[in-house]
Amino acid sequence: MSKDILVIGGGIAGMQASLDLADMGLQVHMVEKLPCIGGKMAQLDKTFPTNDCAM
Amino acid sequence: MEKVTGSNGDFAVTVRKKARYVDEDLCTGCGACAEKCPTTVPDEFNMGLGKRKAIYKYYTQGIPSTFCIDAVHCRTFQKGKKCGVCEKICQAKAIDYKQEDKILELKVGAIVLAVGYDLFDAAKLPEYGYGRITNVINALEFERLLSASGPTEGHVERLSDLRDHELIHSGEKKLKKATKTLGKYEKKHKKSSADFYKEFTAGNISDGDEFAKWAKQYESVQEATKKLEALKAKAEKFDVATRLAFIQCVGSRDFRFNKYCSSYCCMHSIKEAMIAKDHEARTDAYIFNMDLRTVGKGFEEYKVRGAEKTGLNYVRGRVAEITQDENENPIIWYEETTSQTPKSLTVDLAILAVACEAPKGIEKIAEMVGVELDHNRFFKTDPLNPLDTTVPGIFVCGCAQGPMDIPESVAQASSAASRAAEAVAGKA
Amino acid sequence: MEKEELRIGVFVCKCGSNIAGYLDVEALDEYASALPNVVFTQWNLYTCSDVGLDEIKKGIKEQNLNRVVVASCSPRTHEPLFRSICAEAELNPYLFEMVNIRDQCSWVHMNEREPAMAKARDLIRMGVAKAALLEPQEIITSEVEVRALVIGGGIAGLTAATSLANRGFPVILLEKEKELGGMLRSLNRLAPMDVDASEVISKKIKEAEDHPNIDVYTGAAIDKVEGFIGKFDVTFSANGTTKDVRLGVVIIATGAGNLVPEGMYQYDGQKVITQWELEEKLKIGKIDGNNVVMIQCVGARSAERQYCSRICCAVAIKNAILIKQMNPAAKVYILYRDIMAYGVENEEELRKAKQLGVRFVKYDPERPPVVEEDKVTVFHHLMGKELELPQDMVVLSTPLIASEDAVKIANLFRVTLDENKFFLEAHVKLRPLDCATDGIFLCGSAHYPKDVRESILQALGAASRASIPLAQGEIKIEPIISTFVDRDACRGCGLCVALCPYGALEIEETDEGRKANIITVACKGCGVCAATCFRHALGINSFTDEQIQAQIHGFLAA
Ligand SMILES: Cc1cc2nc3c(=O)[nH]c(=O)nc-3n(C[C@H](O)[C@H](O)[C@H](O)COP(=O)(O)OP(=O)(O)OC[C@H]3O[C@@H](n4cnc5c(N)ncnc54)[C@H](O)[C@@H]3O)c2cc1C
Ligand SMILES: Cc1cc2nc3c(=O)[nH]c(=O)nc-3n(C[C@H](O)[C@H](O)[C@H](O)COP(=O)(O)OP(=O)(O)OC[C@H]3O[C@@H](n4cnc5c(N)ncnc54)[C@H](O)[C@@H]3O)c2cc1C
Ligand code: SF4
Ligand code: SF4
Repeated sequence: MSKDILVIGGGIAGMQASLDLADMGLQVHMVEKLPCIGGKMAQLDKTFPTNDCAM
Repeated sequence: MEKVTGSNGDFAVTVRKKARYVDEDLCTGCGACAEKCPTTVPDEFNMGLGKRKAIYKYYTQGIPSTFCIDAVHCRTFQKGKKCGVCEKICQAKAIDYKQEDKILELKVGAIVLAVGYDLFDAAKLPEYGYGRITNVINALEFERLLSASGPTEGHVERLSDLRDHELIHSGEKKLKKATKTLGKYEKKHKKSSADFYKEFTAGNISDGDEFAKWAKQYESVQEATKKLEALKAKAEKFDVATRLAFIQCVGSRDFRFNKYCSSYCCMHSIKEAMIAKDHEARTDAYIFNMDLRTVGKGFEEYKVRGAEKTGLNYVRGRVAEITQDENENPIIWYEETTSQTPKSLTVDLAILAVACEAPKGIEKIAEMVGVELDHNRFFKTDPLNPLDTTVPGIFVCGCAQGPMDIPESVAQASSAASRAAEAVAGKA
Repeated sequence: MEKEELRIGVFVCKCGSNIAGYLDVEALDEYASALPNVVFTQWNLYTCSDVGLDEIKKGIKEQNLNRVVVASCSPRTHEPLFRSICAEAELNPYLFEMVNIRDQCSWVHMNEREPAMAKARDLIRMGVAKAALLEPQEIITSEVEVRALVIGGGIAGLTAATSLANRGFPVILLEKEKELGGMLRSLNRLAPMDVDASEVISKKIKEAEDHPNIDVYTGAAIDKVEGFIGKFDVTFSANGTTKDVRLGVVIIATGAGNLVPEGMYQYDGQKVITQWELEEKLKIGKIDGNNVVMIQCVGARSAERQYCSRICCAVAIKNAILIKQMNPAAKVYILYRDIMAYGVENEEELRKAKQLGVRFVKYDPERPPVVEEDKVTVFHHLMGKELELPQDMVVLSTPLIASEDAVKIANLFRVTLDENKFFLEAHVKLRPLDCATDGIFLCGSAHYPKDVRESILQALGAASRASIPLAQGEIKIEPIISTFVDRDACRGCGLCVALCPYGALEIEETDEGRKANIITVACKGCGVCAATCFRHALGINSFTDEQIQAQIHGFLAA
């Protein structure tokens, strides 16, 4: 029985899930296939509905 | 990820950590290596609209902020070629061509699948000409055009103009080289190429290999100059693209492809049109839609603001076809439903709001972890247990579950975290 | 206490060629060594590399440095690292100052070397001047009461409570009605899963009621709330008794209400009814007549209520399908503006409705339908002509509106509502489940109209967010927050209290008269109070007036 958690995908969803889990004190392994995390959101210029920067 | 065994509370996972060929502990992300790297390749982050080097950071603000080598393009990794430039440049001594993939064995209690989505390939829809008409692009490509860190630094330009710029640039380079060669002949024979050519064509110069070559070179320079001038004359007329047509539901709500609605594209088209107008006040934007689905908090208000304050035009109707005119401007053919008459509109760029699809390779992941997919290829869930896949201990969040926007992805991610934490507490 | 001798060390970073490519780092190093109180300087290739960090530690130990200045890149990315290195070398981490000569000099002034150098010298001089006045600070910790409060016993509240309870956290669940369940108690069937609403909700209710970690109180009303994250003191009454409890976190799940369309489209609750009333009729299976006309966006997407209520198109589609299934001969029209069948399932339901013969007519809000005794007249926006539809029943799709208790709850917990009186999240995209006030979370239709699936999702998400402080057991607070620089000067005017966006200040009666009191756990160090206090009584640690003035003087001292 392990209490660690594996998160596959490092887009906004994967990152938020990992952050929440790590903040709860759990050990998280995040796996991303590309060289950087961020997913599609990193490619967006600004985001609705507030039009602030996606970064 | 390579292999998964075990069950709820007790999974064993094999992960391959691909070699980056750059030591992450040593690399400081300074970028000196990429500056000097001689190999240029199209940049996938910028949807192929820009260029990057073979040693690169996926994007400027990327995390990790260390560089990595793309072994497929790097000269050192391609047999027979010596390069090693980055190794010499790097002051931190971080380059390691011998780095190998690492196999990690993880023991975990729960798994969260957040593999996201891919975009529908608009080329499957022949009537919109994507891939055939240069100035028909998809919405993510347009995001890169809008971005200050993108290939055009935020200036919205027609792709045909970008291509011509590129052609002028490379044409000038080639011409310079060719003219230099001519210069060599001229120096040797103490004669201008133009004079020589006159004599040569008049038959006043006895045949000789070298003279034939000289003549040929001169001809090709003449030709290239003419072409370049034509291109430049065309480029004179270049300006930012101001007439924009956004085409909704491309590959969504379409029986041939995805029957579902991708839910975020109405909003992103309104957003993109607003930003384009912000960058360039002369912009005229048209959004062709069946319904404008703006159902999130503040979204309806956003849409109304787009029309009333920003002056966007929302046109009801499905676009039948896109063709192009002699200036490579897309022509949008549609039926104006309110008057039921066929109409056309010529624009500088047509932007396709392509559907959100389950990512390529999702079948492989599903098979590896043993979960089922639904008939749209997303991970299967039940609305009353919206994060649980068909296998206990494995949860899903974000667009891998179905199309959704960022606020929903973030909320879902937190929920998946809750379920995963419940699982390792032995309660899910 | 005698002032100790100042021993400032300055480390100037080359950042490879990022800084050194444009600035003469060695010259800056030399320049720094001549500044007042500076006893040690050094340049590094990369100050943030292991080698560079060791040098800082060595400097602190061997040179007895008691202030450290690093001139390098952005504090946003590197300040925490350098602070922790100071701490490792047993120097209080708040005796560290960072100067950004990369972003602010070498990057932005790449092509103007000399002015960039001059600016770098200015910035270093200012940093050193400020460092001289830095004071040690301690991280503040505050304990968290491991217990959660969930307000509202609808599907959202029940789901959140159960999830937290499953993780082992004790939960108090308050419901103002006599029974748990919220709206689902009154609904018929649920789309898109086509299940019985009461079945779904009874299962959830049972799960919560039977859970050993959940204390349920029905007929409950909250009277008073004090405190802040980790220590909310709540007084509530339920069924005649009053209770005081301390809670670490709070989840708001008070749901929404239904708009009653008085005076619109001949609404009478009999022949012209709302979807909410139709659900009741469908539950007992009693629909009179063959001709049903549904009108969408009644009281929504209009001047007085601009928002789209998100769920009513799906509700109309669901009920139209149910009517057609009960009575295939029925003629059902849905008069709409945009059909918001977003996502995967809703679009499928829309298609199903069309296949069953439900008719969709787009109307123009400028020319809304007119309801008369036995017909509805509507201008078909797409066909461009007027239609007359016979009607035996008209169903109005009205929006969910904010719960009547929203204002009260918002005032009690000092959280914000949006312009439609739904609870406001801290950030639309990045913190959609948190309130701006720490320790308070939201979910379900209290946030915005939502269907059941989305309410469940949000509830689990809010439980995740709320569990973080509970799991950590304490909260750590950066000490760069509001502080009294001159408590005597405070006259208790309360200007700061009114302006603090985080509710971190209050006025109390003390032996010395009325004084402001800083609730350190709630303070975010934004500095509004320090800027407003005309008595100069308040300041921000590490950004005191004195320190900032020293920087300005440092700048002018060139
Ligand atoms: C043009 C466009 C504009 C948009 N604009 C907005 C907007 O303004 N506002 C808004 O709210 N939403 C917007 N969206 C929607 C937004 O992009 C999504 O909601 C969001 O990105 C979903 O995040 P995700 O984490 O689920 O997926 P992704 O961002 O796709 O992340 C998934 C990650 O998983 C990785 N991955 C995939 N497979 C594997 C594997 N086998 N192993 C390991 N890793 C893997 C991927 O590389 C990727 O990094 C827009 C979408 C588009 C197309
Ligand atoms: C006509 C209609 C049809 C619908 N059909 C569907 C459908 O088919 N499918 C679907 O998915 N969704 C449907 N919905 C939506 C569904 O009802 C909501 O998604 C769901 O009720 C939201 O749950 P909730 O817990 O957030 O709020 P609610 O159900 O409103 O519950 C909130 C609870 O909080 C309590 N409360 C309020 N204030 C206080 C206070 N101050 N102190 C203590 N307790 C308080 C209330 O009494 C209530 O019990 C429909 C809605 C309507 C109106
Ligand atoms: S969100 Fe809009 S554009 Fe996207 S599929 Fe749905 S209706 Fe079409
Ligand atoms: S969901 Fe449909 S009926 Fe409800 S407000 Fe939005 S558009 Fe109108």
